[in-house]
Amino acid sequence: MNGKRILWLMVTMLILGSLIAGCGPAATPVVVEKEKVVEKPVVQTVVVEKEVPVEKEVVKTVVVEKEVVVTATPERKEPVILRLGQNAADLHSLDPHFATTTQDRSLVDMVFNGLVRYKPGDGSVIEPDLAEELPEPEMVDGKQVWIFRLRRGVMCHPTDTTPSYELTAEDVVYSLQKSANPERSAYAGEYTGMTVEALDDYTVKITLDKPLSPVLFFPKVANYSGGFIVCKKAIEAMGDDAFKTHPVGTGPFMVQSYSPGEKVMLVANDAYFRGRPLLDGVEFRYMPDISSREAGLLAGELDVINGLTDEVWVDKMSKEEGIRVDVFGVGEVATVHFNTTVEPLDDPKVRKAIAYALDRDEFLALFGEPVAENVYSPVPAKFLPGGLTRAEVEKLGLAYDVDREKAKQMLAEAGYPNGFSLEVVTSEMTGYRRIYESMQAQLAEVGIDLKVNVVDHSTMHKLIREDVNPIVVYIAWRPNADVYLTRFFHSDSIVVTGAKPDTNFSHYDQIDDLIEAARVETDPDKQVDLWKQAQIKILEDMVAYPLQYHQQVYARSEAVDYGHELISVLALYPGITENTRIVK
Amino acid sequence: MLRYIVTRIALSIPILLAVFTLVFIVVRIIPGDPAEAALGDYASKQAVEALRERMGLNDPLIVQYLRFLGDLLRGDLGISMISGKPISEQVAHVLPYTLQLTFASILIGTLFGIPLGVFTATRRNTFIDYLGRIISLAGLSVPAFYFGILLILFFAIKIDLFPAVGGGDLKKPVENLKHLVLPALTLGLIMTTSVTRLTRSAMLNVLSEDYVRTARAKGLRERAVIIKHALRSAMVPIISIIGLWAASLIGDSVMTEVVFSRPGLGKMLVGAIMQRDYAALQSIMVIYAAFVVLINLVTDLIYGLVDPRISH
Repeated sequence: MNGKRILWLMVTMLILGSLIAGCGPAATPVVVEKEKVVEKPVVQTVVVEKEVPVEKEVVKTVVVEKEVVVTATPERKEPVILRLGQNAADLHSLDPHFATTTQDRSLVDMVFNGLVRYKPGDGSVIEPDLAEELPEPEMVDGKQVWIFRLRRGVMCHPTDTTPSYELTAEDVVYSLQKSANPERSAYAGEYTGMTVEALDDYTVKITLDKPLSPVLFFPKVANYSGGFIVCKKAIEAMGDDAFKTHPVGTGPFMVQSYSPGEKVMLVANDAYFRGRPLLDGVEFRYMPDISSREAGLLAGELDVINGLTDEVWVDKMSKEEGIRVDVFGVGEVATVHFNTTVEPLDDPKVRKAIAYALDRDEFLALFGEPVAENVYSPVPAKFLPGGLTRAEVEKLGLAYDVDREKAKQMLAEAGYPNGFSLEVVTSEMTGYRRIYESMQAQLAEVGIDLKVNVVDHSTMHKLIREDVNPIVVYIAWRPNADVYLTRFFHSDSIVVTGAKPDTNFSHYDQIDDLIEAARVETDPDKQVDLWKQAQIKILEDMVAYPLQYHQQVYARSEAVDYGHELISVLALYPGITENTRIVK
Repeated sequence: MLRYIVTRIALSIPILLAVFTLVFIVVRIIPGDPAEAALGDYASKQAVEALRERMGLNDPLIVQYLRFLGDLLRGDLGISMISGKPISEQVAHVLPYTLQLTFASILIGTLFGIPLGVFTATRRNTFIDYLGRIISLAGLSVPAFYFGILLILFFAIKIDLFPAVGGGDLKKPVENLKHLVLPALTLGLIMTTSVTRLTRSAMLNVLSEDYVRTARAKGLRERAVIIKHALRSAMVPIISIIGLWAASLIGDSVMTEVVFSRPGLGKMLVGAIMQRDYAALQSIMVIYAAFVVLINLVTDLIYGLVDPRISH
């Protein structure tokens, strides 16, 4: 009897204990947001009737500054963890020089820095990161030299084997040499002809055999791909293989643990050189199923999720209470490449006829604005210098707006009054399949019979590189105009037969000189001009039909404030920085 | 008895070997390359080639086969081609979640299914019987992943009673149990419908037997007749359907784990397929096969317990 009583007592205490624990205060750093009203001169366009609009300086009372007071996290409160559901089954590699997939890029973005960085939320602006300022290049003995002065007090994350230590020029040299080593980096090709040396602990000298404009040089040392700076002592102590799942950098967050196929836990780096992050950590969960991510967000178990590139999904989620959907760049560009070596596509008239038979707006409707938008040149003008805008191609008569009568007439002139048939493979992925299927229906209108065979995604990639498709749809983001043009239109990159076979599916070899001249042109304006000329030639010869770009879609709880405006992020996620917070 | 068990286990070795060989061949026939999958389309050919070499994919197939087989025979599940971590470590981490889910589902399926089957059998052709049959037919027709989504919508989003995603921390039993409820209901209720149908028909067969009438004629209470005389005889087919379900639950748990983003062997399997992680894929399939073999063995042994006429 006594024993039974004790048991009851224990159970009651256990229940009471858990109830009391459960009623504890919700834990968040206290963030008080005050709006400050200030008078500030602003430039405003004042339109006076019957006069031309003039810009005048007027004094207006506007709310322009937000005063944010953040107190330290009060003791005994639970940590504020941002929970992100990413569309992936697992990581591939968190060694930043092997991180090529969206899920890996977003993680390494939080862990590492570059010498320079893309401004959070706006990939079109480059600003200093580990370097104190953006250097100007100088020419020494016919070679271009860039000198970077490093910030002091940048600390590498501590690990079990290496304590935290200050990042110096030695780490930067080691890191860039690693990026150039094909055994230790997926981006080695971009670092040939580059010599890196440490002048002292805080000065790094980079010498280029061939000069580059800032537009092409800075991405190599920015927080993207091979430009991420790793901590030498940490990687040497643990080895490259362990580094793949336990990367060590200098960024705002540090990898705490990795559960394969489940999640990666990141914790705030207290010693981060831009200040301690407002979040205490990030829980990065691998959730390949969209309905599961959606349920997690709606149930309040996730704060941010990777959404669907689909207008319908964006509309649906936007209507949910407490949920915000962000659609932002960078956009992955879908381009239709024509193999100019196979009949009947070797005839420019036929290619132009196909271009006139295709209707960009019909393709656009498959995904809907603003998730997708039309493009008019292989390099997207909205995100990168060197692209052609709608107005520019229209002026040149190279917009190729749909005109199926004209298409039929051109086909007849080329000797195909009754059309012809072509066979292609497509990936099973919606982004590709929808485009090919719509193309099939559109080409049927002018008598072209397109047979579409569906294969799995990686098989499509393999087959198109074996030159199986006469028409290739390719959806990709590339960091600058040079990479777009080199990899898709330089003769070295021609599939199968090129010197360095890559993704030149059209077998085009007419703009090598323009691409090469642009690459070494150090005057940004002249460089942009050369890129534009190259693309005008592509459109004149109609070797590729620029279709549309697909933007990134993420949904978040409205409590999440990324800490920056979202225009474009190269890492293909909203960007989580030291300024990201959850406002309860 | 012991000899029977040892023989059965010994016989399962060639089965596992056949499964391993089949999986080894099949994963290499399906298109896609682990190195390309790992590096994406931006990486250079050179980088992909270097990774292939490191993953051991450039070795002749027979060398790869013998290497994997050798490891497996030593009880080593190998190293994941993607994460570079021992697969056994990953399996050890996720296996408790899958086992929890499978056992909880069987428990729900059995505890609800058998009484419901008996109940409807004893009320044959009444409204309750019809209702039960309609519901069980519906249950049989619903795919697990769809039912799972419906449960999430209602119990996690509308009334916020249980968590929608994740598996909970194993060290926190309450949290862990909360995460188990919806996925276990998803699989368990579907299993219930099947067990109910089978129990009902098995009971109907038995209830019309002479010895049941004799039992009633003896003046036994109806409860004793049903449970002691009828149900016990009806148990053999019921146990075989539970055994079959246990095996198929392992398959159903794959989609359920994905829908609930719950750690487990199934989610690991999907990840391995998506990433073409041959090493992990082979090992997981062998583990699944071992499970099915084990379940069949256990089912056989239980027959003997229920029906002493069956001896091993």
